[in-house]
Amino acid sequence: MRDPENATVEVELPADFDDFWAAGLADCASDPLDPVLTEMPTLSTDTVIVYDLRFTSFGGLRIAGWYAVPRAGTAPYPGLVTIPGYISEPTVPKEWAELGYAALAIAPRGKLRSNDVFNPGYPGLLTHNIVDPNTYGYRGFYLDVVRAVEVLLDRPDVDNLRIGLQGSSQGGGLGISTAALLPDAIRCVAAGAPYLCGIMTAPTLTRSYPYEEINEYLRIHPKDVDRVRETVAYYDGLNFAPKVQAPTLIYLGLEDDVCPPETGFALHRTLTCEKTLHTYPHCAHHAGLPDVMRVVEDFLAEHLTPGR
Amino acid sequence: MTFDAYWAAVDEELAAIPGRPVLDVVPARTTDEATFYTVRITSTGPYRVYGNLSIPKGDGPFPGLLITPRYGSVNNIPHPNDRSRYVVLGLMHRGQRLADEGFAAAYPGLLTMGIDDPSTYIYRGIAADCLRAAEFLMGLAEVDPARVAVTGDDLAVLTAARRPGFSTVRVTDLLFYRAMEARLKSCLYPLEELNDHLRGGSSTDALSTTLSYFDPSRHAPAVAARTLLAVDDADWCGSLLSALPDPEVYQVTHLDGADNDFLDAWLAERFGVPAMSKFVA
Repeated sequence: MRDPENATVEVELPADFDDFWAAGLADCASDPLDPVLTEMPTLSTDTVIVYDLRFTSFGGLRIAGWYAVPRAGTAPYPGLVTIPGYISEPTVPKEWAELGYAALAIAPRGKLRSNDVFNPGYPGLLTHNIVDPNTYGYRGFYLDVVRAVEVLLDRPDVDNLRIGLQGSSQGGGLGISTAALLPDAIRCVAAGAPYLCGIMTAPTLTRSYPYEEINEYLRIHPKDVDRVRETVAYYDGLNFAPKVQAPTLIYLGLEDDVCPPETGFALHRTLTCEKTLHTYPHCAHHAGLPDVMRVVEDFLAEHLTPGR
Repeated sequence: MTFDAYWAAVDEELAAIPGRPVLDVVPARTTDEATFYTVRITSTGPYRVYGNLSIPKGDGPFPGLLITPRYGSVNNIPHPNDRSRYVVLGLMHRGQRLADEGFAAAYPGLLTMGIDDPSTYIYRGIAADCLRAAEFLMGLAEVDPARVAVTGDDLAVLTAARRPGFSTVRVTDLLFYRAMEARLKSCLYPLEELNDHLRGGSSTDALSTTLSYFDPSRHAPAVAARTLLAVDDADWCGSLLSALPDPEVYQVTHLDGADNDFLDAWLAERFGVPAMSKFVA
């Protein structure tokens, strides 16, 4: 019988972990963000203005997002970056703008509208160049979310002291990595059913995708297991977690077959910041949806004070 | 054009186009339990669509399971639990990833593509893709023709209505059902696409007319299979339930682990295979 709360999930911390990510951030910084916003009248409503946003990220790739701001109230608004799941596309974040946020739903590389140059597909992203941390497909993907925050930091209609991150599954995992890479910029993180934590342990606990992609990769490349382990250690949320300074909300489904709860508990244990954990018995990857969204909204409102 | 004439025309177009399926084994997904294939097959247009097919090892025939595509650019690969019990086919309709040579669907955007005229609506072709997948699955020698199910959203209802070989239908979501009313409930996608499209100058009459061809309550009377409908609001689903011949209803709990297990066990019992939870306790 599994005991997710007390299970051991270990990830080795690469000696050059900080240098690795510092180099990636430095590479990004060499390119200007060059954000371009285009108003989308048909997507806008009486209460929300929607823009198509494009900006430059790691490797010079142009990355897309949907940016939605409230018509009511007075800028600057609190900023919120919403991060998509593995197989989902970012939806236009009107519901967050209606709550008073300047909300950016990012489409990191490989997602539609950001896949002209890099398009590993789904399945595919999780194991794309997984034997080499420097060329692993997720490297630019992680940095794209960082760059999305930097876009908001530069926006005159965003209060750069009130920027938060929200997402579930992949969005939860990248909320953790982004908050760790930008500890001075992020005020709070809401991370549901976090993916990309305990990356080598998770495929031993489930046969569900996307982690099953790793089992499939190793089925035909069994000799690569050490190189895969070495690569994903640079991307594992458990190695980012101690660097997160922002208050963090974690919520888990205790029967999550996609992101095993063992890995979510391990993330919570590893976080040293102010943290809150909600667990939902009999829930799988929805991790308490739809009711948990009220918890998320309250958490974000407490730290980002929309409507202030 | 009448409802019946509209769909008869789709069937006629499909019947005139040979599927010419091509299967390729995927070693990475092939196990001691099942052999995994990619499938490429021609639908109306003509357009090549994509499927993930898995066939259990051992002596068949096996129950068949068609998974109709969800609304989104990606569908999950059939779960190993399903691959061990069913000949399972997961379809990527035209425009979805892996079926996007020549046409990549936009999100948002797909739901309203060509919607101002029923004859140009993208879902006319998507429905044909589902029907083609159903024909292909039912034609496999490894499939027990007495035990074939279709699972998914409204497209599962539509497929079962137009291809009577299905003995079982499991409906886990709804997209087109009362869509013109449902779009007014929130600004959430994908139904918000309808509101976006109307802001662009289209008429509610045009959208209502086109969507009426796809509303599952209009297809439901033709469904001969045993049907399970997972619902959040049974009152809201009243007209669909009354249109389905003798449906079973599962009240969704939003404890999705429990919901997933119930839905799995329901189908497994119908087909005499073991129930399996995706969460291994």
